Amino acid sequence: MNLSVDVVEETNKSIVNLAGEIDAYTAPELKEALLPLTKQSGHLVEVDLEQVNYMDSTGLGIFISALKSTKENNSQMTLVNIQDRVLRLFKITGLDEIMDINSAIRGGSE
Amino acid sequence: MDDILKLDAETYKELMKRYMETRDEQSLYEVEQASKSFIQNNILPDEIVNMHIQALEELYPSLSEDIQYSMNFLLEAMIAYGIAHQEYQTLREKQSELKSEISVAASMQETLLGTTKPDIEGIDIGIISVPAHQMNGDYHHFIKGRDGSLGIAMADVIGKGIPAALCMSMIKYSMDSYPEDVMSPKAILNSLNRVVERNVDPSMFITMFYAQYLPSEHKLRYASAGHEPGYYYNAANDTFEEIETKGLVLGVTPDTAYPEYEMDINKDDMVIMLTDGVTECRDGDRFIESEEVLEVIRYYAHLPAQEMVNQVFKHFERLQEFELRDDFTLLIIRREV
Amino acid sequence: MKPQSCVNINKEWDIVGARQLGRDIAKKIGFGTVDQARIATAISELARNIYLYADHGQICFEIIDNMEHKGICMVAIDVGPGIEDIGQVMEDGYSTSGGLGAGLPGVKRLMDEFDLQSEVEKGTRVKAIKWVR
Repeated sequence: MNLSVDVVEETNKSIVNLAGEIDAYTAPELKEALLPLTKQSGHLVEVDLEQVNYMDSTGLGIFISALKSTKENNSQMTLVNIQDRVLRLFKITGLDEIMDINSAIRGGSE
Repeated sequence: MDDILKLDAETYKELMKRYMETRDEQSLYEVEQASKSFIQNNILPDEIVNMHIQALEELYPSLSEDIQYSMNFLLEAMIAYGIAHQEYQTLREKQSELKSEISVAASMQETLLGTTKPDIEGIDIGIISVPAHQMNGDYHHFIKGRDGSLGIAMADVIGKGIPAALCMSMIKYSMDSYPEDVMSPKAILNSLNRVVERNVDPSMFITMFYAQYLPSEHKLRYASAGHEPGYYYNAANDTFEEIETKGLVLGVTPDTAYPEYEMDINKDDMVIMLTDGVTECRDGDRFIESEEVLEVIRYYAHLPAQEMVNQVFKHFERLQEFELRDDFTLLIIRREV
Repeated sequence: MKPQSCVNINKEWDIVGARQLGRDIAKKIGFGTVDQARIATAISELARNIYLYADHGQICFEIIDNMEHKGICMVAIDVGPGIEDIGQVMEDGYSTSGGLGAGLPGVKRLMDEFDLQSEVEKGTRVKAIKWVR
């Protein structure tokens, strides 16, 4: 169980490439990388989840706190390339309606 | 302590002497037993090496100095192992202390959050809730209304263990404080959402499915706050359907509204509520599909509801080699007449 | 008071010098091989702490010989950053320099008496005694 977090900086935009599994063990690493990025006003944080094949509720918690932080700091977060299994989690919890999620690039998973 | 050491040193010397003379397996077996007693009496590796040095000196007084020095060298090499071993022992004791403390907390939680499965004529209820660790982050609660209705809450706090369990107590006490006339599923979720939003860390959230069964009308009213969807078993068609709902998890935004749904329950129909500990079971590296859960339920569907949930749990417990990754809660209601 | 012998700890090599002096004293008082080795290991830990966390310091040895018993007393003093949370440093399983058995809890185990005083930004003083059995 491992997660790699790779951040690419562009002008007014950070791309966070994640690969692996997001669970109780790897979530702190994600939190540490993601939250500071959302604290810059006017900044766009794009999280690429194409290589994430598993996420549990702890992972969702991190995205929820990141979302709250974007609202407080006037930044933006968008999630792209979510695999179906992970997307299901966002749908069940109703988070897909309040988060900017773009999964259209990729249809199937596994 | 010193006496034990002296006694052991004597035993060790005698054993070694016998072994050097006979090279028999018996002595080796006995030194194995002695080794276990060293551990029991907290005799450290450097002390054992020292016993060996002393035995050597007494048995072979003319032993070369080189060998003697090399043994002292070995003794020095064992010192750090000795302290590490002592520290390890202390940590083990501390761990067992913590474990018993947690088990006290767990039984307190059971008392605080306890709920009894009500007896209601015409419906058969089965419920099982098993925590992955000592404390349960899943929660279910039965509320019998004066109008004869049955309220069922099923919730899952993000994470497991103690933080989740603490959070659950908050939910339980908020629910206890609601007057009975506002016990509609959507009203309960609306109000719990505000409680959670105000009181928990931003990365914490709770999902809940709340259902109200009206036995006189054979209707189920329900609403969901981002909870793992349950299933409806239609006996007439012998089919399972996912219970579709909309609704955000509790605690994200203060003003979330939860739509309420209603369905008719016919004779022999079943309603299945669960947490993600059921649907996210893993068989090795493979996730099970929700169809598999339903197949297993169908397989045991001829049993009374309580037997059914017990058997389904046993099935998945075995599939996961008796090590749950997440708290597991499964509830089944069947209309009998 | 009895005469003291001290070793200054400025570089890693000084740790070896401190061990040597401590061991010689221990031998002279009549400690057995095992206890000599334990005393040397305790000195190592104390000296390493000075070397790793404080710029410099010293370790002093003193022979205690009274009616009741004989023993070796060592005092490690440095003017380093001090220890902020002594409870944490003395806790088993907590070690910055790695592994079980390392650090000050190890010293406490190896010796019979142990005392620690520290003030942040001023320094640390550790005193440890082992009695001849």
